[in-house]
Amino acid sequence: MASIVKKLKLKALKFALGAKSFWDYITYSPPKGWRTDILAPPLRIGVKTKELVTKHYLEGVYIDGDRPVAWVTSGAPVEFLKALGFYVLYPENHAALCGARRVALELCQKAEERGYSIDICSYARTDIGSLLSRKTPVGKLPKPDLLLCCTNICQTVLYWYQVLSHYFDVPLVIIDTPFVYSEATDADLEYVKKQIEAAIEVAERISGRALDFNRLRDVMKLSKMATELWLEVIYTGKHIPSPISAFDQFIHMAPIVEMRGDSQTVDFYGAMLKELKKRVSKGIGAVVKERKRVLWDNLPIWHSLRFLSETLADWGVCVVTSTYTYAWGELAPMIDPDRPVESMAKVYLHPILNRGTGDKYRLMKGMIEDFHLDGVILHSDRSCKPYSIGQMDQRTNIVQDLKIPAVLVESDHNDPRAFSEKQVINRLKAFVEMMG
Amino acid sequence: MTRRDVIERAREEGRLVAAVFPIRYPRELLRAFGIEPIEVWGPPRVRGSEGASHLQPYICSVIHNGLSFLLEGGLDDVDLILVPHCCDSLQGLGSLLKDFVNPRQEVLTFYIPRGDYKASKDFLVKELVILYERLRSITGKEPSAQEIMSSIIEEEMADRLSLELYRNRKRIGLSSREFVEILRKREYLPPKLFAEEVEKRLDVASGDVKGVEVIISGILPEPMDLLDEIDDAGGVVVSDDMSCLRRRLLKPGKSEDPFERIAERLLSAPYDPVLGCFFAERISFLERLIEETGAKGVVFYNVKFCEGEDFYYPEVSRWLKSRGIDFVKIEADITPPLPKQVSQRLRAFIEILGERCG
Ligand code: SF4
Ligand code: SF4
Repeated sequence: MASIVKKLKLKALKFALGAKSFWDYITYSPPKGWRTDILAPPLRIGVKTKELVTKHYLEGVYIDGDRPVAWVTSGAPVEFLKALGFYVLYPENHAALCGARRVALELCQKAEERGYSIDICSYARTDIGSLLSRKTPVGKLPKPDLLLCCTNICQTVLYWYQVLSHYFDVPLVIIDTPFVYSEATDADLEYVKKQIEAAIEVAERISGRALDFNRLRDVMKLSKMATELWLEVIYTGKHIPSPISAFDQFIHMAPIVEMRGDSQTVDFYGAMLKELKKRVSKGIGAVVKERKRVLWDNLPIWHSLRFLSETLADWGVCVVTSTYTYAWGELAPMIDPDRPVESMAKVYLHPILNRGTGDKYRLMKGMIEDFHLDGVILHSDRSCKPYSIGQMDQRTNIVQDLKIPAVLVESDHNDPRAFSEKQVINRLKAFVEMMG
Repeated sequence: MTRRDVIERAREEGRLVAAVFPIRYPRELLRAFGIEPIEVWGPPRVRGSEGASHLQPYICSVIHNGLSFLLEGGLDDVDLILVPHCCDSLQGLGSLLKDFVNPRQEVLTFYIPRGDYKASKDFLVKELVILYERLRSITGKEPSAQEIMSSIIEEEMADRLSLELYRNRKRIGLSSREFVEILRKREYLPPKLFAEEVEKRLDVASGDVKGVEVIISGILPEPMDLLDEIDDAGGVVVSDDMSCLRRRLLKPGKSEDPFERIAERLLSAPYDPVLGCFFAERISFLERLIEETGAKGVVFYNVKFCEGEDFYYPEVSRWLKSRGIDFVKIEADITPPLPKQVSQRLRAFIEILGERCG
């Protein structure tokens, strides 16, 4: 009985949310204080983004016992979990949301009080702090039945997930992905494939059902479609002026990370692409007077997105795209729904963070050409060593070989204590002057 | 014999020398090719400024110093560089060397898997075969299974002897620094020469150790002044839970196939944070050390920005607290001198521990 009431309540809430979002969409106007003199109004699809994210977390609040719950790393092969009916939660995304809502600092400090060093990645500190204090801006996080940790982004998650496994006392499955210094070997692929197969067995046991491979293929298809659409969304930035900025991409990337494999994600990016194409046809740029176009490297600085976007727009600089958001689209061609396990092994072995520093430089070089960019901002992220190592040489090469300005900005994606507004402005100002 | 002597001897014998970065790698395979592996843990005494043009300040000093040492010409007389994968920073260093720094020497990488045992072992065997092929094309040599096997046996013997030295720690009565220095000779001495050193020590016991017994825990005890501080304050290191020391003592393998046997050995380490072992494994390892040695306290020595160590500390320290075992956490980088604040903290800890233990 209680479960029926819970389901009805969830349905009613979702309906109310949908209705509100529909109303917001048609009566849409930019938020108060929005600098329409320098920035185009936020994309209308933002209403939908909010709705999707809220619904996703809302479902988590009411999930207890209805579906198995998995907590996964952002680069985990999530498709088989979706096909098995898991509700999937991404602690990194939750941490990013805490960062954007400016509650990360308080949570980081909670973790630090319990002995976690300030040098540990701030996503991990944010989430550990959230667990310890039971505070979260999304109401409540569902307890996991399974933890799936894929090392293709960093070694940090290997430790972080041990903390989670210790805390929740639930099975932890590790999918270890050898680092691709130059090219993945057959042994690498075979190793990852074997681990995915073993992970499927564990997930089947926990969910109490056998994996339906037809369902898995369907999920893979949806993943591929959404990923391709996301890539097209990013490619709209090739237009001058760019209808979208990297800051917009940061805000609208939540579905491609945490709702890969869902049909609503495909619809969402389809709609987003349509809106962007409309902007292109009308010549609307994300930055009103786009003067210079630049690339962003590394994670966003979640707590200062608005500040950075306005500061740069004030100078006529549009951060057109980023290596970070591109990473969620670039592997689309590798997804092969007809060979789901093999293709998962291949895709999840190749994210940008699991490839060499030279490869990232080549990627940046390609993006600079394709998107007609005038400069590069490299966020040297104190928390994320795998993303940040190599940036100094990448910067040198960009300046010397490609002959365009590039600047390193020291900060941290979630911990505002590592962000000095004055220093950042000074560095960016000098950078903009160099671009002319 | 010093590192320099070992390098010169290899040169005279026409053998290649490889600089090897931390932490785990198949020493036996390199030696089967006649290659002399010389480990580069930092080193602590370099200016470190050269590395700063490639690495941000929040990368640990082991990596900073290692790269600086290479750029300052410290590795000019080695023929190869091997960077095993042990953490994000070492992975980054390997990648930087290959893609941007481009040293004169060939840079090889080696991946230690962290997945479930069966899949890891199969993968590791393949990784070893790939390394064998690389070394074959570099040296033109093709060691037989038997030759690799005898190299493995020698390394197994050296591991056994190291363990023997730990077992006799209290009887051999060396200072903390002397004790650690012998064990760390493994970083460059061939197993036979290492065995001679250890046996000499085991034969000439110079009396029981004196002082408050402590265990040191972390990656590596650099700067080594750390050990002098412990002794000066009335303490003595009776064992360790360190990546460059006891954590690397591997069990003898079982397989008759040399590649399988090396893989078994590499995956047999007591436990290691760099492999993402469970907290419980580290706790039970520490528990065993404390029981074996009767240690009264633990000194956690964390290299600044070493995330692996940082993650384990809260859990392990909570366990120690629950068992009423005293501990202290100090943090520094590996370049001497040890910061004053750190030595004061360390001294205060040992003194209080001494008073408590009567
Ligand atoms: S270290 Fe980097 S990749 Fe890893 S969780 Fe933190 S931000 Fe993500
Ligand atoms: S000290 Fe830690 S971070 Fe530095 S190289 Fe060693 S394991 Fe990696």
